[in-house]
Amino acid sequence: MSSLKILRPQRKNMKTSKSSRRKLLGLATAAAVTVGVGLTAAPQEAKAQEIQLTGPLAGAPAVRKLRLYREGRAEIAVGGGFTLLDEYKRTIFISGRLQYNIFDWLGIGVFGGFSPDALSLNTDLTDKIETNAPRNTRTAVNLPGTRGAPKYEQQTGKMSWMAVPQLTFSPFRGKLAFFQKLFIDTDLYVHGGVAFVGVKERVDCGGSAGVACTDPKAFTTAQASRVAIAPSFGLGLSLYPSNFVSINIEYRAFPFSWNRGGFDSRGAGPDASFPDNQINSEDRTFRFNQMVFVAAGFHLPTTPKVSE
Amino acid sequence: MKHARCWLLLVVAFWLLPTVAFAQPGKKPPTKPPAPPTAPAPGGDIEIDDPNAPKQPETPPPGGDTSPPGGDSGGGGICEIDPTACPKTGDIKKLADRPVKADVYAVQQIYALRRGRFEINPYWSQSFNDQFVSHPGPGLAVNYYLTNVLAVGINGTFYKPFNGDSDFNFENRRATRLAVPLNEYFGGYAVNFTYVPMYGKFSGFSQFIFHYDGYLVGGVGGLFTRPIAVIDPDNRKFDFEHRIAFNVGFGLRIFLNRWFSVIGELRDYIYIEQLEAISVAPTQQGQQDKNTWFGEKPLTNNVQAQVGISIFLPFSWEYRLPK
Repeated sequence: MSSLKILRPQRKNMKTSKSSRRKLLGLATAAAVTVGVGLTAAPQEAKAQEIQLTGPLAGAPAVRKLRLYREGRAEIAVGGGFTLLDEYKRTIFISGRLQYNIFDWLGIGVFGGFSPDALSLNTDLTDKIETNAPRNTRTAVNLPGTRGAPKYEQQTGKMSWMAVPQLTFSPFRGKLAFFQKLFIDTDLYVHGGVAFVGVKERVDCGGSAGVACTDPKAFTTAQASRVAIAPSFGLGLSLYPSNFVSINIEYRAFPFSWNRGGFDSRGAGPDASFPDNQINSEDRTFRFNQMVFVAAGFHLPTTPKVSE
Repeated sequence: MKHARCWLLLVVAFWLLPTVAFAQPGKKPPTKPPAPPTAPAPGGDIEIDDPNAPKQPETPPPGGDTSPPGGDSGGGGICEIDPTACPKTGDIKKLADRPVKADVYAVQQIYALRRGRFEINPYWSQSFNDQFVSHPGPGLAVNYYLTNVLAVGINGTFYKPFNGDSDFNFENRRATRLAVPLNEYFGGYAVNFTYVPMYGKFSGFSQFIFHYDGYLVGGVGGLFTRPIAVIDPDNRKFDFEHRIAFNVGFGLRIFLNRWFSVIGELRDYIYIEQLEAISVAPTQQGQQDKNTWFGEKPLTNNVQAQVGISIFLPFSWEYRLPK
């Protein structure tokens, strides 16, 4: 009852004071608008979240219907290999690659090639040495005493074949647009393996070899062959103009030491870095051998799988 | 006060009303009674397939045939206006049975538009085809893209402190007593046009996608070069001289985002080089005569591999068409 007594005067006051009533009404309206805005805004955020969770792209893979050009397919690639930054001989390999791709991103195979002497071409330096280098006691170990008999090019180092068992890792798949008209599927891959390279070098002479390096026989004797073992690695780009055929451009490095000029350059003095009038394994110097391989690849089976 | 509460509740209800409508699952909208046909204004156009369009009086053609030509009874407005253009049932079946090439090659909006943007490209340049002396150095290129595929720009490379005589050159000289004339560079510049004929994207591990483009570049500029005195270093001393150099090349640009990319480029600077004379004058007076110092002037290809980054300005843009 006492509370009623308290309320009554308040009601009376409200009835009597129009200004305070208006104030109260204004406050209430503002509160209602605020609540309304808040309530209206809150579900809109919830709606946006709902789209994120259940939208058509939620959880979708980056690529759909991807042609799996590699997975479960064998590849035979045929083409040419061209060495880079050559000093005395440019080597052109008739090359090929046989590969089976276990997954779309991983393949195992063999790269190989051979280069007959006709495809070992002189650099300009080799020709200049032949025609311009002096023949005297200072060059007697390194160059034939008589110009042209035999020719200097016959003692330069050559690569005659190579075989590289290797793994190919293809992490990047994509497509390429030419002139905004022609679209070609591509992939970018890296490869690594062990290179076995057939090398021909000037035959050993001087010291225990029996024949002095200044002896004409040291220049006329056929070159010695050996197999150099080196790491092989690089990267390449494959273009797929059709399901069956691909075009490959590949870079390969296979560094190892060999005697490319047929010179005596090591074996004596501090760190054995001066000539010792002998041609032997000490005269091999490190070289970062590089080549570019351009090929057409043929894939079996002829039709690739397509991902979901 | 009671009225005020009612008004407040009404206001809140109105505010909530659209929200409730959003949250409700989709329902079929209530069927609205069709509006009464409206007659076109005199001389006005009749819109085909207008639901409000007045129906044509159904006057049967002579002979009693009520089916449209071709036997299609659902041809729509076009059949009424031009019966010859009305698709025939046979045609529709033929079209439906047509083999569809489902493989759609599509490139969406180009990831990084270039038109109207500046490209700032600092790079490091490295000799690619010189076994005897290397010419590495830092450089900077600035291009402005007139269109999305064509840019005009300039570039400059500073070689002076980085020229290097290779070990191979020394060993060859020691073994054959044959000195190969060498040259060193101070710097170079060029004005270039860049054309971007190809672009694409790669999916990495099927997890992320990055975009790239390939471009051709060509231009003209100059190189400041001089011979290194190797034949007669006691008497000869050369100054840098300007040579006109043309250049052609190609490159690959991989975008890490829409304004930042990594660039690899191979460019051939083609110019006529001045070599040191490989013969030495027999007399001291002749050896000190500058006219006896210079030898051949071969056409030289200085192939440089350039690796750098590329920053596009402004950083953002607006596509002209929606995605």
